[in-house]
Amino acid sequence: MDNSFRKIDIDIYDEDALRDDEIYETDPRDPAEVLEDAKQRQGAVRSLLAKNDIPGALTVVLENAPYGANVEEAKMITLQSLLTILNTTKSTEITGVVKSLSPDTQDTLMKYIYKGMAMPGWGDISGSVLLGWHEKLTEVAGVGCIVRTMTDRRIV
Amino acid sequence: MPEVYTLSQTPVTSHSFNADRSQLAVSLNSNDAQILTRQGSEWVPTVTLSEHDKLITSIDWAPNSNRIVTCSQDRNAYVWQEQPDLETGKLIWKPTLVLLRINRAATHVRWSPKEDKFAVASGARAIAICSFDPENNWWVSKLLKKPIRSTVLSVDWHPNNVLLAAGSADMKARVFSAYIKEVDERPSPTVWGSKLPFNTICGEYSSPAGGWVHAVGFSPSGDVLAFASHDSSISIVYPNGQAIHTIRLPSLPLVSLTWTSEDSIVAAGHDCRPLVFSGSEGGWQEAGTLDDTTSPRSAEPRSGFGPSGSVGRLRTGAFATFRDADTRGQSAIAGSASPTADTKLLTIHQNTITEVRPYEYSGGNITKVSTSGVDGMLVIWDVNAVVALTGRLGGAHLR
Repeated sequence: MDNSFRKIDIDIYDEDALRDDEIYETDPRDPAEVLEDAKQRQGAVRSLLAKNDIPGALTVVLENAPYGANVEEAKMITLQSLLTILNTTKSTEITGVVKSLSPDTQDTLMKYIYKGMAMPGWGDISGSVLLGWHEKLTEVAGVGCIVRTMTDRRIV
Repeated sequence: MPEVYTLSQTPVTSHSFNADRSQLAVSLNSNDAQILTRQGSEWVPTVTLSEHDKLITSIDWAPNSNRIVTCSQDRNAYVWQEQPDLETGKLIWKPTLVLLRINRAATHVRWSPKEDKFAVASGARAIAICSFDPENNWWVSKLLKKPIRSTVLSVDWHPNNVLLAAGSADMKARVFSAYIKEVDERPSPTVWGSKLPFNTICGEYSSPAGGWVHAVGFSPSGDVLAFASHDSSISIVYPNGQAIHTIRLPSLPLVSLTWTSEDSIVAAGHDCRPLVFSGSEGGWQEAGTLDDTTSPRSAEPRSGFGPSGSVGRLRTGAFATFRDADTRGQSAIAGSASPTADTKLLTIHQNTITEVRPYEYSGGNITKVSTSGVDGMLVIWDVNAVVALTGRLGGAHLR
């Protein structure tokens, strides 16, 4: 059966269609700047991890995390740095670390956990580590945190 | 203790009381509106208002003029007025069609404080402001359109009868001027602005994490706006000092709210219990809940949700219900008249609360609120019986 009609972008025929930038505030930063920033953070995370400062490393990587269109590379670098942190944290320390984060940071962390779970097999993603963090984060921040991950259009 | 009434086995989509609270108009998730009359401790159906041919989404009963307005997914609204029947002389409810001029479902309706206008929110990216045209003997509408980008989910009138707040699925709460030259006197300046021709945008606020704005409400003075959105947050806006206070909730989203005084709000929704928020321009916080779940299991939040849901819980609750239905042919449908102890939530409402409304006033403040739910229940709560939420919110400020 011919179903190519399903691929037609009907929105281009609608003058009044809702565009992404009307739904959320786009990042005012330039994509190149965001990428540079993500690379710098990768270095900062490494040195914080060396000092075993996990809350510090998470805050660095999650604050002003890249979102929206045209910053795919920066997003992947951020995900990579985040996975490094998550994988090196001892499971007994997770609750304490999560509690020390600000509510904003907790919401962003939840977004990345879901992003990771959506990409099985990529890089050094470990399902059990992500699920462990997910469980602890939900205990601290509640299901409201998951709801915000689902509603927020500022996709990481 | 809250007064609890089970109105039906179907969801209560919307409810509204008459002025003396002896009668109640409800939409039981159908095309008809029911008027229920209080008889002792029961609500007995007395009148059915049938005119709509799709689901009724919202009802509002004007206390002074004793008129009911209903709106529906059939894109129409009707104003119902009690009049003597020409033949029998008995009082009956007569409908008047309103020319809404919208091409999508009507979602929410509210009378203005003076009851000479009402606002109908709709899926047509527009709000119809309706006023009575005595010459033609019908209700005419004027549409607020710009800059709404999606379905409008709720509206609330400012006490000055001119300004209107609207919450929309484009993740914004807005304050509009709904000034109608033929009806309104020139309004005096407010914190929202001084020159207010029709469709002036006096404020536009985004939900913090991209959620549809489900509920909006002006404070009793009209100087503060609160809105609750689907990202499990509630925001309180002070247009004067440009201050916006946002509370991110650990629980499920709120869908309805009402101010009870200048410094407190009752809001409820998918979490099945009314929450109380209190604060002032300096800051707002969650004060607790009206639903005191003091029972042996009160330390635990709703079954199946929240932090203490562990693997052990699989032996009880919903899991057990389905397993029993499967292996032993036993069925106990949640929400039916006698739910088993295991599937019963600890909260009074057993499903999402659809609407919170003021019930009893004392002085300028509201002392009781009513809630209706998807579980078919109507509950009347004393707003001063605030109980702190258990656990980490135990230390929250109490009024």
